[in-house]
Amino acid sequence: MATLSVPTSARTAKPRVLKSRAAGKLLLLALVAAVLAPWAATRWPGAAWPHELTVSLAKPLASASNWIIDNRDSHPLFLYFFGYVSNAVVLCVRAVYLTLLAAGWTGVTALGALVAWRVAGARLAAGTAIALLTCGALGMWVPTMQTLALMVVAVLASVAVGALLGLAAGLSDRLDRALRPVLDTMQVLPAFAYLLPVVLVFGIGVPAAVLATVVYAAPPMARLTALGLRGADPEVLEAVESLGATRRQRLLTARIPLARGELLLGLNQTIMMALSMAVIASVIGAGGLGDRVYQALASVDVGQALAAGIPIVLLAIVLDRVTGAAGSAKPAGTGQTPSRTVGWPYALAVTVAVALVTRLLGRLDWPSGLTLDIAEPVDHAVDWMTGHLYSGVPVVGGTADWAGHFTTWALDPVRSGLQWLPWWSVLLIVAALAWSIGTWRSASTAVLAMAAIGVLGVWGPALDTLSQVLAAVAVTLVLGFATGIAAARSDRVERALRPVLDVFQTMPQFVYLIPVVALFGVGRAPAVAAAVVYALPAVVRITTQGLRQVDPAALESARSLGATGRQQLWQVQLPLARRSLLLALNQGVVLVLAVVIIGGLVGGGALGYNVAFGLAQGDLATGLVAGAAIVCLGLMLDRVTQPTERRAKKGA
Amino acid sequence: MSTATATQTPVFSVSGLWKVFGPKPERIPADPELGALDPADLRARTGCTAAVRDVSFDVRKGEVFVVMGLSGSGKSTLVRCLTRLIEPTAGTIAIDGEDVRAMDKARLRELRRHRAAMVFQHFGLLPHRSVIDNVAYGLEIQGIGKAERRERAAEVVDKVGLAGMEHRRPAQLSGGQRQRVGLARALAVDPEVLLFDEPFSALDPLIRRDMQDEVARLHREEGRTMVFITHDLTEALKLGDRIALMRDGKVVQLGTPEEIVGSPADDYVREFVRDVPREQVMTARTAMRPAAPGEAAEGPAIAPEATVSEAIEAVARSGEPARVMAEGKCLGVVDHERLLGVVAGVAADTPAADTTDAVVAAGGRTAEATPVPQPAAPGKHRQATPPAPRTSPEDV
Repeated sequence: MATLSVPTSARTAKPRVLKSRAAGKLLLLALVAAVLAPWAATRWPGAAWPHELTVSLAKPLASASNWIIDNRDSHPLFLYFFGYVSNAVVLCVRAVYLTLLAAGWTGVTALGALVAWRVAGARLAAGTAIALLTCGALGMWVPTMQTLALMVVAVLASVAVGALLGLAAGLSDRLDRALRPVLDTMQVLPAFAYLLPVVLVFGIGVPAAVLATVVYAAPPMARLTALGLRGADPEVLEAVESLGATRRQRLLTARIPLARGELLLGLNQTIMMALSMAVIASVIGAGGLGDRVYQALASVDVGQALAAGIPIVLLAIVLDRVTGAAGSAKPAGTGQTPSRTVGWPYALAVTVAVALVTRLLGRLDWPSGLTLDIAEPVDHAVDWMTGHLYSGVPVVGGTADWAGHFTTWALDPVRSGLQWLPWWSVLLIVAALAWSIGTWRSASTAVLAMAAIGVLGVWGPALDTLSQVLAAVAVTLVLGFATGIAAARSDRVERALRPVLDVFQTMPQFVYLIPVVALFGVGRAPAVAAAVVYALPAVVRITTQGLRQVDPAALESARSLGATGRQQLWQVQLPLARRSLLLALNQGVVLVLAVVIIGGLVGGGALGYNVAFGLAQGDLATGLVAGAAIVCLGLMLDRVTQPTERRAKKGA
Repeated sequence: MSTATATQTPVFSVSGLWKVFGPKPERIPADPELGALDPADLRARTGCTAAVRDVSFDVRKGEVFVVMGLSGSGKSTLVRCLTRLIEPTAGTIAIDGEDVRAMDKARLRELRRHRAAMVFQHFGLLPHRSVIDNVAYGLEIQGIGKAERRERAAEVVDKVGLAGMEHRRPAQLSGGQRQRVGLARALAVDPEVLLFDEPFSALDPLIRRDMQDEVARLHREEGRTMVFITHDLTEALKLGDRIALMRDGKVVQLGTPEEIVGSPADDYVREFVRDVPREQVMTARTAMRPAAPGEAAEGPAIAPEATVSEAIEAVARSGEPARVMAEGKCLGVVDHERLLGVVAGVAADTPAADTTDAVVAAGGRTAEATPVPQPAAPGKHRQATPPAPRTSPEDV
């Protein structure tokens, strides 16, 4: 009897302890607030971050950037290190670019199709060929090749760096512990934040673009390599050890082959991230397709932007599908293996032959007669839209009206509300949110990050960005959860959604700006719209998966008790999928932030605009401060929405 | 034969072996007071778990030595300690008289490559390799050329009945076939001793029986020494020449199947073997009594190794006591009273003069008088596949 009573009392005590702990956290926070807030409020009155607490980095940063510019050609660090790196990058990109041009459009198309055929089969080969030919037909052959050249170099470097880091982290526990938080954090930062430090060192140009791409694209490779090496079936490794394998043999014959799936997934993710970044890096001189989009957007020329945007989307889809197919293809029976290995020389031979023939015929360049100018018809269509859909459509109103209303009724109130809040209360809210969802550690990181924004002196713009993020996240979650629930409850909806989500999830962030500019013009509302569209697929997908993974036995027992569909949803599915829903929130926030920042390019203002402005005007100090603030904001938002369990289960 | 094996160096000789998991594990074996604590107290006091506690036994050449226990009894840890896949905390392990714990890395690799090969519960196959390459993997590790290792692997693949499947991947095989691959991989390196870690517990009952027969056949044909870990009493009784029964890291009884079933060392073992059909495990040697005058001359003759159930048949058919005959001599007789006594489990009080009820308590060695079954011999016609005990070991 005594033995029985102990566990029961422990069990009943636990929730009380938990509850009191959550309440305790908030109580403690309230106490601190009660002491500090009046003091802070009297000492630094006003809602905005007090001026006395800022540290102006403009001067030191400007002088640093000036020093770098002055010494770029003389200081040994640049002469003997960065100079070489930069030259090597330029040389590599140039070499690949010239090779691609030398192969001609037929050669590249043949190569692409053959590679796709070997890796992923005939259907994708045809798709690849059509995609490449479309790029040419849109008059974008040369920019496409520029982007490809940059991508090839960046992906190779990212894979090399990522695989090495991942190998190290996979083999050493200490390195893994050191690297993991860094990689996790890098993964949540908006792409825009990576641009400025690289520009500071390398100046605007191809080297900076490639290196920014590498820094952005290497982490997934590193993470997945480490994950794959660590995730190997322990019993297989034990069996291998029991046969007397040396460490090297174990690595080469077991661990690396067993990690094949993760390695290929890492390659896939790295390629997709590299493409996304290579397009954004047009802002710092990457050239190619992204540059065309950037230029076109700068002059709100939707037709041109679309002509360059379509090849980006096609490239993204093709690259994703082909590398994805390579990853998911299980190593089949040996019957197929020889033909696979035999196929490659043939493929290469065909490519060379095709390239040579075109060269001899003198038709290396894309034939000008085959170019299809879509810019003009698109512009017409946009003009028509501007004329007819922008405003004054009976009953529903126009798109510009919607954007205007959204700005007036949603964005403005949120922004002024945030700016009306005293700065210390913002910090308190951040602390309370982060602490109640996560640990004191994530809470303190979040508060420190938020405070750093104030110290950097960009409190105002950061709150502006934050207001856009909040509005976009709210819209995303409402739409995403609704769609996710619908897809989880109906197979038909899920089947219909899947291809759409697949396509949307592969598109680089930058591309989303084109349609929203066409629909809504420029301003904060289009930036928010682009962010919603970008974040929606991930939220929908995670929600659907989370709901579908709910233990069927739990659902069945609820059904057997006679629960209605609504009761099942609210009382079983949603509570059990809580972790997935939180993850969806977290992902949604991270993705929304990335695009809201880029929205600075289409009139979103705030931090993103500061970065773009800094780059455009050569005012690196402004840009860098904004970039740092973006990093802080990203950290803060991630930590505030990061449930404690996530660290443990974060895998793919 | 039995005297010959007794004088030979045991294949494995384990004594005073400890494996403790947790902080500062060395202090537990060193301190008799800590070592005597039961698992819950030990964990509370030190934060450590003793998976193997002061275990000693010898594995003789050519025998099937079964270590049996419920999950968590430390048996899998024990078998891993033999080749130091898990580093023991204290005690000595010798293989053919050579100290395993003193081996350096290279020597240990040598041991794993050539002398002891292991078969795992979940097979541990390399999913990216074909059957033949999986089987040849151990040879590849040894640095044997491709042609030779494939040839040797092909022979073993034939031997375990996988001919024609050489080029399949593990994913394309059934569970039983996969374990045949695991068995073939271990056999391919021609090890002196095979270690089995619950090799068949992941398989369906029918396939499990096939595989048990397969192992019994291999043992009959090759006489290779085997250490077999299982939680299945039926399997242990069927395959084992000797069985070490483990509980909470300790060996509670070590003996032949007949000794375990016939003379359980304590209540735990008794409870364990309660539902075993005794007539299929116990032999006429245990059941017999000295022949009364005149009895030695007539009646049906049976071998001392015959099971009680066979003796019952003989007695029932003839209607008179059966003589237990070995080499033309009458060792004793079994009548229906003795046989019923054995089946009912009440006969142990008056053992016949020369039977060997050497019951061994925890950790002790078997008395030298224990009959050592010859490799191919008596145990094997206990074809007993008794119905599974009502209290299946897994849900105790």
